[in-house]
Amino acid sequence: MIKYIIKRILYLIPIMLGVSAIIFILKTFTPGDPARVILGNDATQEQVDAKREELGLNDPVIIQYGNYIKGIVTRGDFGDSYRTGNPVLSEILPRLKTSGLITLGAVAIGAVIGVLLGIISALRKYTWVDSLVLVISMFFQSVPEFVVALVLIFIFAVNYHLLPSSGIETASGYILPMLCIGLSSVASYTRITRSSMLEVLSEDYIRTAKAKGQTDSNITKHHALRNAMIPVAQSIGTNLGNSIGGAMVLETVFGVPGVGKYIVDSITQRNYPSVLGGALIIAMVLTIINLLVDISFILIDPRLKSTIIAGGKKSKKVKETAAKAA
Amino acid sequence: MDENILDIEDLVVHYETEDEVVEAVNNIKLTMKKGEILGLVGETGAGKTTTALAIMGLLPERVGAIKKGKIKFEGENLLEKSKREMRAVRGKKISMIFQDPMTALNPVKTVGDQIAEVILLHDKCSKVEALKRAQDMLALVGIVPERYKDYPHQFSGGMKQRIVIAIALACEPDLLIADEPTTALDVTIQAQILDMMRALQKKNNTSTILITHDLGVVAEMCDHCAVMYAGEIVEYGTLEEIFDNPKHPYTKALYKSIPSLDKDVDRLHVIPGMVCDPSDLPSHCSFYDRCDEKCDACKLHDPLPYEIKDGHVVKCLKYQAREEE
Repeated sequence: MIKYIIKRILYLIPIMLGVSAIIFILKTFTPGDPARVILGNDATQEQVDAKREELGLNDPVIIQYGNYIKGIVTRGDFGDSYRTGNPVLSEILPRLKTSGLITLGAVAIGAVIGVLLGIISALRKYTWVDSLVLVISMFFQSVPEFVVALVLIFIFAVNYHLLPSSGIETASGYILPMLCIGLSSVASYTRITRSSMLEVLSEDYIRTAKAKGQTDSNITKHHALRNAMIPVAQSIGTNLGNSIGGAMVLETVFGVPGVGKYIVDSITQRNYPSVLGGALIIAMVLTIINLLVDISFILIDPRLKSTIIAGGKKSKKVKETAAKAA
Repeated sequence: MDENILDIEDLVVHYETEDEVVEAVNNIKLTMKKGEILGLVGETGAGKTTTALAIMGLLPERVGAIKKGKIKFEGENLLEKSKREMRAVRGKKISMIFQDPMTALNPVKTVGDQIAEVILLHDKCSKVEALKRAQDMLALVGIVPERYKDYPHQFSGGMKQRIVIAIALACEPDLLIADEPTTALDVTIQAQILDMMRALQKKNNTSTILITHDLGVVAEMCDHCAVMYAGEIVEYGTLEEIFDNPKHPYTKALYKSIPSLDKDVDRLHVIPGMVCDPSDLPSHCSFYDRCDEKCDACKLHDPLPYEIKDGHVVKCLKYQAREEE
């Protein structure tokens, strides 16, 4: 298990190198001079040239790239923001925490509601309950997130004054963004759970459980649910990743200082160190989330344990025995 | 009468979908004595499994419907029992072994838990005790008891079927239904499993219905044999009667299609034609189209089962008419 985790963390290295290289290449092809951006239009050409020299922008791209990577590896330094002059890392980390919290809450809301609805509609398949669940989940899937956001703001903030309409100064500020992102993902969880449950419920081992005299509710709880959760766990992983860096629209609507909005703002400001740092850190987080999801698979499905973890060892053993036999 | 463990009377099972009604089991009558092994033979779609599922009360919901008849088990009609009462019967009094051991076990539960589950359901005991008994069951079917912590994917096909058998026998049922227990296994493993089943059957004197399309298996295992065709029992009798003195043209044709070791034949005997469509059964004898002993009268009547000899029942106009002449 530990060997497997270490192996997966080592995969981070090529991923990081790839992501940073792509952004570095994009940066060199983008028109506009970062030094000019930092100093403003009033600066003299001498000042701009001096700034370019200071930032190392006159060096060949490959040297710039090398220096950047060296900075990260030796000092954990992702560069300084062109706009504020603060280290990128210190700007991103609090935003990452905010985005992470909202995403976790949202995925929890979405997954709990979605999985419950999915189970209900699978157990009541082809009845009016099933159709109702389908209609509701399709509704939330087809309405754009920001519309749901505006409606929620209208109801909870404007009409009833229960929650703040924007900002995260108080903990209650987190509720609306979480709810909004969560509700929009309910549909996908419902559908995945429903189809996965239906598939599992038609499996032979469910019939075996019935033949034992087991009750329907216990069959759902003990036999069907765990088997049906494998595709759902996969989808939770994907959703976690998507909403951490990809929630800029909602972060804008709710005035939440999150990572997504930070990166988009940095792009429009040609604030390359922030873009680069943001992308790298998100890539790192995604890789770790993926690893956690894969570990959760192993916990759900014992068959994967032997294929994923013992995979290397086992195949070696098989090879040895095969060689002996030959 | 009390000796009969199972009495099926005029059982009719239909599968109803929006487009059609499949008449899977038509008016079958079947009696089993305690401790007997009954072979239920017939080709695919003859209604063997449907009969078994009807006994278990496990016909597919909404689709499968018992239209008529009684299934009396130890004198009580199972069809009149509530869902809760049937749950108490399943696994405890009547158990079933399914065809494909590869898919019959839950992949995410240990085999020990899966055996212990049925014990916990029916016999009041602690979890620890149930696991202990599960290990005893594993030993009984020839698996090292220490492997109770393993998952199904860590066992081979034959061993999985042993585990399925262990589950079925864990509560010492009065009636065991084995639905093609060896079909999915290769021949050497088939023999092992059958030997083991026979030994366990002798030990507990469990009444057993053995569903198969392999007449060889029937010859080795059974006391009585019922041949099914298109949802009907066309011939029923003791093993000796059915094997030495087959009467129904279908039974005879089945024997002809068994490859012989002594005779050198290029092609095996085949029964011409196809099984008639169970959603569109003829009003006359359902074997008429494929029968090589048919006569004109066969197209007019659907024969009734007729007892030609003590306990030997044939559903063929030929024998019925002869007796009436």
